[in-house]
Amino acid sequence: MNKDIKNIKDKNEEETWSQDFPFHKQNATLVGRREFAKMLALVSGGLALGSGLVAAKANFFPKEKVTGEHFVCNKKDIPVGGGRSFIIQGSDIPYLLIHLEDGSFKAYEQKCTHLSCSVYYKKGTGQIVCPCHNGYFNASDGSVMAGPPPRKLPQLQVIVKGDKLFVTAPSIESV
Amino acid sequence: MSNFRTNQNKSNTNKINVILSAVIVILVLNVALQIWLLYTALNYTLDNDTGVATTAFFGSLLIFFICAGMIYYLPEGEIRKKNNLFSPSLQKKDEKLRQ
Repeated sequence: MNKDIKNIKDKNEEETWSQDFPFHKQNATLVGRREFAKMLALVSGGLALGSGLVAAKANFFPKEKVTGEHFVCNKKDIPVGGGRSFIIQGSDIPYLLIHLEDGSFKAYEQKCTHLSCSVYYKKGTGQIVCPCHNGYFNASDGSVMAGPPPRKLPQLQVIVKGDKLFVTAPSIESV
Repeated sequence: MSNFRTNQNKSNTNKINVILSAVIVILVLNVALQIWLLYTALNYTLDNDTGVATTAFFGSLLIFFICAGMIYYLPEGEIRKKNNLFSPSLQKKDEKLRQ
């Protein structure tokens, strides 16, 4: 009697391992619907974990804000319709200071919000252009006009003191 | 003993197939929803809005629990049931052998 039970158990164990580690190639490459469903649940867990990491980054390791005023250049260094790249001390984010045709100065992050390509101001159009995938931003407020960028360009506030141009973190109203 | 379940299974042979397909469709929809949540959370976080990321995380976690729960309802299929040492049919066989 016990021998019969042992035989059944041995047979089942053999079939279980051969299902998990099949030695025929066609069985090894076969993905059944049950395996597919289990894999989807695993992917779901991965996505939940990813969302958790994003939430943790947002809440516990927020992006450092620009503090204080930083000198960029003199007014005469940027002609009307021109731009100048700069980096704030202690940071590695590239920024773009532009002189619009209406005489105002604007400063934005130079990384496109789509895939971080370098953007530039297209003279006379009022548009900041990303050449990689044809993304267009409004030069007066950084909002997206066309193309794949999902959000507006982060902006810095420009302060004009005499002939000198400074940048600082944007005031809350302008964010 | 009632033979209702056996008769039902014999008359509706496609049942397991339909349940399995339905579970897969629900799982795919859930995963699509999670991808959308992750994309939105990333976008808002990069735009310095942290509230959305937290809400999206709890939503995503809830969906994951639903997906894990759906796995419980995956039908085993007759062939696997026979091979499964813990299946009710095999336990009955075991009991018979023990007697």
